[in-house]
Amino acid sequence: MGPVELLHMSVFSQSFSPCGRFLAAGNNYGEIALFSLSAALSPDATALSQKPVLTFTAHEGPVFSLLSTNCHLLSAGNGEISAWSWNELIKKNVKPMWTKRPNYKSSLEIPEINAMIINPRDNSLVVGGGDNNIHILDLEHGVFKAVLQGHSDYVHCVSVREREGEILSGGEDGAVRMWDSRTGQSVHCIEVYKYENCARPQYGKWISCVTTDSDWMLCGGGPHLSLWHLRSLSPTSIFPLKGCQRQAVFHQDMIMSVGEGPFVSHCLLGGDIKAQIPCTPQSLNTLQFNSNSTEHRVLTVGGSSDHIDVFTNLSYRAFSLSF
Amino acid sequence: MSSDALKKRKSKVLRSEGGTPEMKRGRGEGDQQDVRVYSEEVELDSRDPEQDYLQYKESCESLATLMSEIQELKASGAKEGSAEVEQRRMQSCIHFMNLKKLNRLAHMRLKRGRDQTHEAKQRVDVLHLQLQNLLYEVMHLQKEISKCLEFKSKHEEIDLVSEEEFYQEAPQNISRPHLTKSDPHQLTLAQLDWELEQRKRLAEKYKESQATKEKIQKSIEEKKEHLTSLQPGLNAIMQASLPVQQYLSMPFEQTQKQTEVARHLPPPLYVLFVQANAYGQACDKNLGVSISGDVDEAKALSKPPEDSQDDESDSDAEEEQEKTKRRRPTTGGQLDDKRREMLKRHPLSLCLDLKCKDGSVLHLFFYYLMNLNIMTVKTKVSTSSDLSTAISAGDLLKSETLLSCLYTSDHGRETPNPANRYQFDKVGIVSFGDYLEELGHPYKWVQSLGGLHFPNDTSESVRVGSSLSASIMESTMKLLRGRVQSRLALQKQFASLEHSMIPVSSECQHLFPAKIISRLARWNTIAYEEYMHLPYTRHVTEAGLAKETDLYFMAVVERGTARLQAALVLSPRYPEISPLFSLSLIWKGERSGRTDDNLRAMESEVNVFKNELQGPRPGHQLLTNQISRLCVCLDVYLETEGQDDGVEGPREFPREKMCLRTVRGPNRLKPFKYNHPQGFFSHR
Repeated sequence: MGPVELLHMSVFSQSFSPCGRFLAAGNNYGEIALFSLSAALSPDATALSQKPVLTFTAHEGPVFSLLSTNCHLLSAGNGEISAWSWNELIKKNVKPMWTKRPNYKSSLEIPEINAMIINPRDNSLVVGGGDNNIHILDLEHGVFKAVLQGHSDYVHCVSVREREGEILSGGEDGAVRMWDSRTGQSVHCIEVYKYENCARPQYGKWISCVTTDSDWMLCGGGPHLSLWHLRSLSPTSIFPLKGCQRQAVFHQDMIMSVGEGPFVSHCLLGGDIKAQIPCTPQSLNTLQFNSNSTEHRVLTVGGSSDHIDVFTNLSYRAFSLSF
Repeated sequence: MSSDALKKRKSKVLRSEGGTPEMKRGRGEGDQQDVRVYSEEVELDSRDPEQDYLQYKESCESLATLMSEIQELKASGAKEGSAEVEQRRMQSCIHFMNLKKLNRLAHMRLKRGRDQTHEAKQRVDVLHLQLQNLLYEVMHLQKEISKCLEFKSKHEEIDLVSEEEFYQEAPQNISRPHLTKSDPHQLTLAQLDWELEQRKRLAEKYKESQATKEKIQKSIEEKKEHLTSLQPGLNAIMQASLPVQQYLSMPFEQTQKQTEVARHLPPPLYVLFVQANAYGQACDKNLGVSISGDVDEAKALSKPPEDSQDDESDSDAEEEQEKTKRRRPTTGGQLDDKRREMLKRHPLSLCLDLKCKDGSVLHLFFYYLMNLNIMTVKTKVSTSSDLSTAISAGDLLKSETLLSCLYTSDHGRETPNPANRYQFDKVGIVSFGDYLEELGHPYKWVQSLGGLHFPNDTSESVRVGSSLSASIMESTMKLLRGRVQSRLALQKQFASLEHSMIPVSSECQHLFPAKIISRLARWNTIAYEEYMHLPYTRHVTEAGLAKETDLYFMAVVERGTARLQAALVLSPRYPEISPLFSLSLIWKGERSGRTDDNLRAMESEVNVFKNELQGPRPGHQLLTNQISRLCVCLDVYLETEGQDDGVEGPREFPREKMCLRTVRGPNRLKPFKYNHPQGFFSHR
């Protein structure tokens, strides 16, 4: 990888290993890099320990989504999902356990996969991507068992409400759809851009991030990042963040969000911006909190750079991992 | 006693007087007298000196008593001549006689004793002499013995063959094993004999060889003579063939002259001369080598061994420094002289002419700086056709930039010889870079071509192959030719770019759609500092991809109200290292590749996926293809930018490009990839 390639690298996805000691990150060249957090966080860490312990090409297109199950790392490339064993990866054996493609109708262009999430209720994988549909992969049997159709443009993000058995998805068409995971029917559809206080016509109407926490939903993209009460299906607070948000998470009593702009935004549930913590990449794609291990409890963010910023303390950037 | 002594002498005289008449008297009785004398001597032997002494004492005493009796008688008044006195006088006369005899005897005895002593002494002397002689003889003998013992035979120095070898090789009559086996002396003798035999034989052989050698020498001499006799004939032929040579333009004469001149080249230039000539003859007919400069000066320079000059200058320099402390104004000129002396180059220089296929020629002038022991190069490019001069192409063929970074990080700005730093300190030269214009560039490859090798303090820059001149000659010549061709191609391209035309060759037509609406509006060079200060190039400079030695340009692509600025870094090693674009779009506000993901994607489309744009080898069309693609990407960017259909009325940029999807992925990238035969745009 030459310096020019590094200059134009973007990190799209991250996932921590089940043990919490490793971080996998996927970039726009289809590579997945494994970083050792224990080495990078140790007191005698050198510049070398901020480099990946393993880099391998997983897919042809960019790796837009990475996900860890109890023992597997799932990666999504151009229209395909691969599973890698964490144990083997740590031993630096690079061989996918399996690779599966959802059944796509169009053949001119292979649709990308933008988001994946595990539905623990029936141990299935919810996959949203470029063909406007949501595919459900039964992880028990390894077959795609359902297709949720309804979006009129490609799906940006998916989320699961475990207790209610609902799947949420946000798409380029500006709608957040709620699906009944058992029947596969669309239950609700919120068109966020139609709400005047959320809409930002200068940007567009797409929804690029959706997260849920019990009765609450966080969504944003072209429209403002907004907190929704799902039972009443109404926006409760709107966060006045500049730029489009790409990922947002609930963290304790706070909301952390990343998107365009070189910073992580800390927001209060009431709608105020508490802080904006600067980081290296000019725009951010992904934000992950490592809750798998207490000793490596860090926040990592990646974006339009070959650097992945690591926050040991939420209020400032500690160091950067780099490809 | 004194009276006694007197009496004795008197008596002696008397006796001799008495003796002489006696001898006169009885001549016939001489024998008798002799016998008597002898008898007295014989008597002497028989008498005991002890008794004589007693007798002497007795007679003295009786004489004394007789005298005293006479005196008494005289005192008593006896008459002179009385019987008693007379008697006594008689008696005393007898005693005197006796005393006389005793005296005589004593004298004789003394004489005899003396004689005896003398005799004995003489004998002792003889014996002593004898002893001395003997001792001397002993000493001499001892010396002889020791000399003998110390004697070293010559044969010990002779390197003899070992004993076994001797027995093996020597014939029986020489080795005589029955004798020599037991007697080491005989063995040595035999060995010496054998040695002598062998040496004689070898001497014989030597003589023979000498003779053959002489014979051969004589024949050589003859042949030489024959050859020298050929010379005038050959010269005549040469002279005669000159017109033919000229007519056929065969440069035999010229090369001969050149090699003659080349003898006066300094060693590094000579190495280069030989290598370049050899390479030119073997592999590259389009490589011309010539020598220019003052030959006489070079001859004068090469004659005296100038080793003293250096020391002189050293001490001078020291003095100089001392002087500078004291007197400022006068030393400036001297220091200048010193500098000039230090930077002096050899009067001869080497010129390589590298002809390219299209008729343009790269002239390389190699100089040797004698006191710095480095080589420098100046360049000149002459083109066949008069190129329409492009303003932005001014730097392309300049001597400073043309050969920069021929090999990785070989900028040729600093002297490669570490020793020069100290020399510079002495005369107050801050940096060699100030003299590049005048002296040429001391690239590392130039030193290698001349066989000069300096240890590198930076170990990271690994040299290509070994440092031998021959080993890098070919690759360097290829690089040089490639560099000139790429520069000429660039110059041509720049000329049309300045007229807002992007030349796209027919081989590269398939890379772009037929209709490109965005137009190149401006093309100009910018300075390094200017580039550094652009806000949208920060990531490039931070990544260390923009160096001072690179060339910087600004391209402006326009379509309607949109204006795309592209700042680009052109490495001297283009097209090996591709140009790097940084974009900034002014359209409804300003956005740059740093903040806008789509502009970033456009950057990577030209920077990262450059291999598709290389065109026919060696990729001289890369730059123009990149700019073309930039125009295409801008078209796509603008045409797919509509957010709200129908809201704003007529769109400024109607969608004309065929796209499968306008956006894709989490960062909503536009389809910048052109698929040739179908003519649609898709995502990477």
